[in-house]
Amino acid sequence: MYEHPGNTTEQEKNLDNSIRIVKAESFEMKRCLDKGKTMDALKHALQMLNEMRTAELSPKFYYRLYMDSMHELQCLEVSLVQDFSSEPAKLVNLYECVQYASSIIPRLYLLVTIGGVFIKCGLGSRKEILKDLVEMCRGVQHPLRGLFLRNYLMQCTRSVLPDFPETEEMLDVHNSNLPKGATKLKPRDGTVEDTIEFVLINFAEMNKLWVRMQHQGPSKEREKREKDRLELRILVGTNLVRLAQLEALTEDMYVKDVLPSILEQIVSCRDPISQEYLMECVIQVFADDFHLATLNEFLAACAQLQTEVNIKILLIALVDRLALYTTSSIEGGAPTKMKLFEIFSEQATSLIKSRPEMPVDDIVALHVSLVSLAVKCYPDRLDYANLTFQGLRQVIEEKAITEIEAFGKVGRELTKLLNIPVDEYKNVLRLSELPEFIKVMRFFDYRGQCNISAYMIQNMLEEETILRTQENVDAAFELISPLLKDQENQPENSHDTEEFIDEQNLVARLLHLIRADNVDAQFLLLNGVRKVLGEGGRYRLRFTLPPIVFELYRLVLQFAEMKEEDEKWDAKIRKMFVCAMGTIGALVSSAELAELPLKLYLNGAITADRVPFEDNHTVVYEFVSKAMSIMEDDVSDSRDRVRCLQLTVGTLLKTTHLPHENWEPLAIQTVLAAGKMFKKPDQVRSLVTAAALYWHGQTLNTDGQKMRNGKKVVEILKRSAKIAKECLEPIVQQQLFIMLISAYTYYYEDKCPEINVDHIEELISLTQDNSVQLDVSAEADSLEKQLGEAIRRLQLAKLDVAAAQQTSPPEPDLPQPPNENEGL
Amino acid sequence: MPHRADNISSQFRKLLVPNKMQHVLCTGNLCSRDMFDYLRTLSSDVHVVRGEFDDESLKYPDTKVVTVGQFRIGLCHGHQIIPWGDSRMLELLARQLNVDILVTGNTYECSAVEKNGRFFVDPGTATGSFSVSKED
Repeated sequence: MYEHPGNTTEQEKNLDNSIRIVKAESFEMKRCLDKGKTMDALKHALQMLNEMRTAELSPKFYYRLYMDSMHELQCLEVSLVQDFSSEPAKLVNLYECVQYASSIIPRLYLLVTIGGVFIKCGLGSRKEILKDLVEMCRGVQHPLRGLFLRNYLMQCTRSVLPDFPETEEMLDVHNSNLPKGATKLKPRDGTVEDTIEFVLINFAEMNKLWVRMQHQGPSKEREKREKDRLELRILVGTNLVRLAQLEALTEDMYVKDVLPSILEQIVSCRDPISQEYLMECVIQVFADDFHLATLNEFLAACAQLQTEVNIKILLIALVDRLALYTTSSIEGGAPTKMKLFEIFSEQATSLIKSRPEMPVDDIVALHVSLVSLAVKCYPDRLDYANLTFQGLRQVIEEKAITEIEAFGKVGRELTKLLNIPVDEYKNVLRLSELPEFIKVMRFFDYRGQCNISAYMIQNMLEEETILRTQENVDAAFELISPLLKDQENQPENSHDTEEFIDEQNLVARLLHLIRADNVDAQFLLLNGVRKVLGEGGRYRLRFTLPPIVFELYRLVLQFAEMKEEDEKWDAKIRKMFVCAMGTIGALVSSAELAELPLKLYLNGAITADRVPFEDNHTVVYEFVSKAMSIMEDDVSDSRDRVRCLQLTVGTLLKTTHLPHENWEPLAIQTVLAAGKMFKKPDQVRSLVTAAALYWHGQTLNTDGQKMRNGKKVVEILKRSAKIAKECLEPIVQQQLFIMLISAYTYYYEDKCPEINVDHIEELISLTQDNSVQLDVSAEADSLEKQLGEAIRRLQLAKLDVAAAQQTSPPEPDLPQPPNENEGL
Repeated sequence: MPHRADNISSQFRKLLVPNKMQHVLCTGNLCSRDMFDYLRTLSSDVHVVRGEFDDESLKYPDTKVVTVGQFRIGLCHGHQIIPWGDSRMLELLARQLNVDILVTGNTYECSAVEKNGRFFVDPGTATGSFSVSKED
C-alpha cells in the first residue's frame, strides 16, 4: 500500500517537501510557457509530476499533493489550448515526446492532460482519444496512485464527454451554440453511448483497484486499511455520479446497459465495503423512475451480495425513497405503485429468511420502512399494513421472543413502528381493524405497552377522536388495556411512579371524548365504562372515576332540558343520580378516599337541586348527608375538616329547593360539626362560616328569598365570640376577634336588625385593649392595620344606616302628611 | 382537567405560546401536576392557588398576592369565600390582602367589575367545562 507510512508529523514533512518541489517546478514550467518553450515546460511538468510517484504518503496526504499538482496541470492545459488551438497539428509532436518520458506516472498524467487539449482543440477523433486514455491508465496498477490518476482522467475530460445521441440536427444545434473560435464537432465524433462505455470501464478499473487495497499488507493492519479505503470511496463513486448526470441517458439505456454493468461489477468483486457503498450510491444518484423500472434486478443483486453487507440499510433507503416518490408524484404510475408493496414485502421476507443471524432490531427496522410504505402510499389498503405486522409477528414468534424491553435497541425500533399508523391514520380507532397490530404490541414489556397506549391516547386527544358508540369504546379500551387494569408483567411498585399518574390522567381525559348521539346511549356508555374502570383497582379509581361522575352530572343537566320529550324523564334522571352516587361510593369503599368523594357528593347535591325531578330533595339530602358522614368519620386532619365544612356550607347555600324540614337537619348538623372542631380557633372560624347558612340560605318555603334569620345568626356569632375569648394565644385571639368584628359588621351592613351596634363596639374596644399587650411583630402590625380597617368600616356602615333611616318613610303610627309634590 | 375536561380548547391553545406571557395567574382546579407543568412551559412566573379539586399533596396556598408593575394582584379560587361569589365578601378579601386587583374563580363565568377603586376579575373557565352551579 504505502511502504513506510510513518506517523503524522513525518507525513507532514514529506508532504511539505513534495509541495515545495511542485511549486518550484511549476514556476519554471510557467516561465517556459511564457517564453513559448513548450518542450522545456513539459520537462518541468514531468519533474513536478515525479512527486506523484511517492510511496510515503497516506491517502489523506496524497490527496493534498494531488490537488496542488492538478491545479498546476490545469494551468498547463489552459496555456496549451490557448497556444495550439490555431495550429493543432503541432500538438502531435508534443504527444510523441511525452511518450518517451521514463516513469509511467508522470508520463500518464501528462498524456491525459495533452489528450484533453487535443479534444478541446478539435484534433483527432474524440472517441478514439478517450478510448486510448482509459486503456492507457491500466499501466498503473498500484491502488492509491491508480485511483487518483483515473480520477484525474475523469476531471480532465469532464467537460468534453459527448452527451447526446447522434443525429444531424443535434449536431447542428451543438455546433451553432459553440463560442466563437471554438472548433465545430464533426459528425461521428462520439455519442453518449461512447461516454457510457468510457465511464463504465473507468468505474470497473477503479473498483478493482479499490478492492485490491483490502488485501495489501499485513492482516494486523486491516482496520487501518479499511479506514483508508473509506476515505477514498468517493473517487470510485464519482464515476456513477458522472453517469447519472448525463442528460442523454435514457431509461432504456439504463435498464439494458448501464445498470447491468454496474451491478455485475459490484456483485463480482465480492468485497463488502465496496458493495455496500456502491449499492447505496446507485440508490442515491439515479432518478426514482429509473429505480422503479429496475426494481427487480436491483433487488436480485442485493440477494447476491456478501453476508457482511448491511442489506437492511439498502432496502430501507430504497423503500423510503420510492415511498416519497409515489406519494409526491402526480402521475405516480398506478400499476407500478400497485406492485411496489408486494415486491418489497416479498424481498424483505426472503432477505430475512436468507439471513437467520440478522439482528432483531434490523428486522424491525426493515418493517418500519415497509409499514411506512404501506401506510403512507396505500392509506386505504389496511390489509397491506396488517400483512406487514403479521409478517413481523411471525418472525418474532419463530425466534421465540416473548418480551421486548421498551428502551432497548429492538424496543426503540418497535416503538417507531407502532407509532407510524397512529401518526398517519390520525384516528386510533382504525387500528382496531388491524388485528396483527395489537398482537405485535403485546410483545412489548409492561413499560413498552404503557408507552404506546399513552401515545395513542395523546393522539386521540389531539385529534379529538370522539367515541360515539359501544364499538368505539370497546376498540379504544382494547388498545389501551394495559393502562386500565393490573397486568401480569407489571412491576411491583408501578403505582408509585410518575408515569403511572400521568398515564391515569390521560385515561381520565380520554373519558371526556365519550359522546354518544343521544342521552340514553350516552348513559349506557358511561355506565358500561364505569364497570370496566371499576376493575382497575384502588390506585386507578381516584383518577378515572371522577370524570365519569362529572360526565353523569353533565348528562343530567343536558337531559334536564328535555322534560317534555320523554315520559320516563323522572325515572331516568333518578337513575343517573343513582349511578353517580354508586360511582362515588366506590371511591369511598374501594379506593378508601375521603375528601374527593365528599366534594363529588356536594357537587351532586347542587346538581340535583337544580333539576326539578320528582322528589329531588331526597337525592339532595342524601348527597349532603353522605358528604357529612365522610367528614365526620373519615376526615381527621383539622385543616381538612375546616375546608370540608366550608365546602358544605357553600354547597348548602347553593341549594335553594329543599323543603324546610329537610334543610333544617342539615343546617343543624353543619353548625354542630363546626362547633365540634378539634381546635378552638377552628371552631370559631367554622361557626362564623356556618352562621351564613341562616342568613343567605334559601328553601322551598322562603320562596326565592334569603331566609335572613338574624336571631339564629346572632346566636351562633355570640357562641363563637365566647369561644374566641377562651383562646389562649394572644395573636390568634386577636385574629379571631377581628374576624368576628368583620362578620358582625357584615350583617349590620346588610341590615340585620338583631345586630346590636354597641355589642360590636364592645368587641372593638376589647380588641384594642388586647393589641397593646401584643409583642411587637410584623403580624401584630398587620393586625393593627386590619383592626383599623374594621373600625373604619363600621363607622361607614353606621353612617349608611343612619342615612337610610333618615330617608326611609316615617314610623307607621304617625299619620302621613299630605305631600303636594308627590307624583312629580 | 382531567376531571371535567379533556383539553383546553384548541383555539385558546393556539394563543398560549411560550414566551409571550410574562406571568401566569391561575385560580386553581388544575387537578393534576401535568397541567401545572404545561403552564410552566408558557412562562417561568406561574402562580397557582388552591381550587377545591386540586390535589392536596400539591399544597397550593389559599390566597396569593403578586406584584406586577405598580399593581398588587390578589389571587384566590373563591370557594373559601362564603357565600360563593358574594361581592361584599370579595371586597373584604381584597382589603385584607390589600390588593388593587382581585382575581377569583369558582363561578365559571367571565366578568370584570370595578368597585370602590378596586378591580374584581373572574376569568371564567379555560377549558369551557361546565359547572354544576352555573346558571345557563
